[in-house]
Amino acid sequence: MSWILWREYRAAALITAVLVAAFAALIAITGVQVASQWHSALAACSASHSCGNLSGTLFLGSHAVGFLVIMTLGVPAVLGILVGAPLLAHEFETGTAQYGWTQSITRRRWLFVKTGWPLLAAAAIGGLVSALVTWWSGPNNALQGNAFNPGRFDIMGIVPVGYAVFGVALGIAAGALLRRTLPAIAVTLAGFIAVRAVIFMLLRSHFMRAVTSYFPVGGGAPTGAGWQLSAGYVGAGGQPIPIPQSVSGQVLGGGAAGGLPVSSLPAQCQAAAGNGPFTRATYHAVVSCAQAHGIRGYLTYQPASRYWAFQGIETGIFLVLAAALLAITFAVILRRDA
Amino acid sequence: MTWLTWRQYRLQALIGAVVLAAFAAVMLVTGFQMAAQWHTILAGCTASGTCGTLQQGSVSLGGVLGHDFAILSMLAPVLFGVLVGAPLVAHEFEARTSDFAWAQSITRIHWLAVKVGWLLLAAAVWGGVIAALVTWWSGPRNAAFADAFQVNYFDQQGIVPIGYSVFATALGIAAGAVLRRTLPAIAIVIGGFLGMRLWISQSLRMHFMSPVTTFYSVTGGFNPPAGSAILNGGLVDKAGQVVTGSSGNVMTVFIDGVPSTSLPAACQRVLPASASSPAGPGPSNAVLNAVNECLQKAGYRQFLSYQPISRYWAFQGIETGIYVAVAAVLIAVTFYAVSRKDA
Repeated sequence: MSWILWREYRAAALITAVLVAAFAALIAITGVQVASQWHSALAACSASHSCGNLSGTLFLGSHAVGFLVIMTLGVPAVLGILVGAPLLAHEFETGTAQYGWTQSITRRRWLFVKTGWPLLAAAAIGGLVSALVTWWSGPNNALQGNAFNPGRFDIMGIVPVGYAVFGVALGIAAGALLRRTLPAIAVTLAGFIAVRAVIFMLLRSHFMRAVTSYFPVGGGAPTGAGWQLSAGYVGAGGQPIPIPQSVSGQVLGGGAAGGLPVSSLPAQCQAAAGNGPFTRATYHAVVSCAQAHGIRGYLTYQPASRYWAFQGIETGIFLVLAAALLAITFAVILRRDA
Repeated sequence: MTWLTWRQYRLQALIGAVVLAAFAAVMLVTGFQMAAQWHTILAGCTASGTCGTLQQGSVSLGGVLGHDFAILSMLAPVLFGVLVGAPLVAHEFEARTSDFAWAQSITRIHWLAVKVGWLLLAAAVWGGVIAALVTWWSGPRNAAFADAFQVNYFDQQGIVPIGYSVFATALGIAAGAVLRRTLPAIAIVIGGFLGMRLWISQSLRMHFMSPVTTFYSVTGGFNPPAGSAILNGGLVDKAGQVVTGSSGNVMTVFIDGVPSTSLPAACQRVLPASASSPAGPGPSNAVLNAVNECLQKAGYRQFLSYQPISRYWAFQGIETGIYVAVAAVLIAVTFYAVSRKDA
């Protein structure tokens, strides 16, 4: 049975291997360039003690390769469309399922081998592409510290393996239920985008309870926060200080929580600010007035130390979803009349 | 034949209409919210006379949902190409319904022309409705950030999405007609569409027309019309040669965007040794002004190459024309392949 599967897929396997090899070559060549650019920038800035503002001035790599790296977000969906959806649906459409089921091996074994190898292949492709992207992004992650941000988190580490397995499992299940390739492709694409969107927009930030850190007005917000969820200022009673959508006029602080406009402060502190730009004296007067009113800045975030825990949780969710979809596939196929 | 095409595609037409309606609902709800937000900001800054200082960093417009949908709209053309274009001819061959259709009273060319014609029209409508919604939704963002001419924003708005949609569908039809199998045709659509879009948007688009190059004094400044797409800029010497230096070299001090070691020797001497070492605090404003005065005397000028925002619609027209022309070639290939095939 494994041999039949190999005969069925050897052309597709060859094309995939060529594409992955081309991607690997491109990533390897440009990745070495990025790494050497990063090392010379580090050497230069440590000589001049200016490494602190490097993230604002240095651009690593090229736009085109960076774009290609972001496009790997689509790899699991493409695997689901081209490998998962037709896997069973095409057998039904051409009637070859009936032929397969009248041979000496059981239907369960036929299905087990037929789904097992492509799922393994999907995991391998997802893992290989992710490993290349993770390695390539190393200097950028160190520079920008944004590996935990939505969009970056999704193309690195182990989550792409979970996405790839889920995409293919979704295609297989859709094909088993609909028995036609094209509707299965449409369902796979829509379902994949919907599940990914719901998890990364609504659920991911709640995998673990977020940490809230407070800091004094005018002081520095904590850095190296990992994934920043929300930030702002609260009064003595913990009530949020409203900040207008467009900030103008005199502003206190900045950094992760953004500026606190003087116009949002109590009237007493606004009076201390005077008119025109701050002088050192009026700035300190306003800061101490705001602090006397109990106003503090806050930053709610998922610490960078949870990065791998979140990778594990998200991968686990997608593997569980994939297992559920495969259970549905087995139930549907084994109960179906030949 | 038109009736037959309608019967074949009425379910898909219904599903497509439902998807479009859902997309329209999201864009309208988030779009009205964003428009109201923009009007509040404008009213506020008009009252305080600070509208001139509204910057991308100080204004946030629109929620995540509408923005994500606008980005997702760039996938709409390839979706139509995969689900409608690729199977159009290929599935007829696979299911052998083409044999049946070709044994009827109408000619093979007539059969193909009606199917292809209606579905390309549907592709244009699909791309056009989505683009119209995204264009309307983006109005406040275009006004606030002036980035409609930049890559990715240009690609979601105006008329180019119609060209993309027609091209993706024609690519699917042609790949299906040549390969005669749906799945390989789908793979060709995904790969071909991405390749063509990336190539044109990343390297070709900025050269549709020769860019405007403005020269200005080293000691002065120049701003192109807001929203223009910038190609490059820098320093030219008296003879008009662009002053270059290895831009990746961070071991030296950069002045006017070029390494100080690439400046004429007379002007390098203006730099004190402490200012030309990357380990120091960098040149002071007085030193920078002195260097610029020296460059000015030596006949150096700055330049900026850009595509002015006034060419926005010309570029939209050129890019749409390219995609429609390629689609026409692909349709010609389809007719050739289908009319040559033995029944």
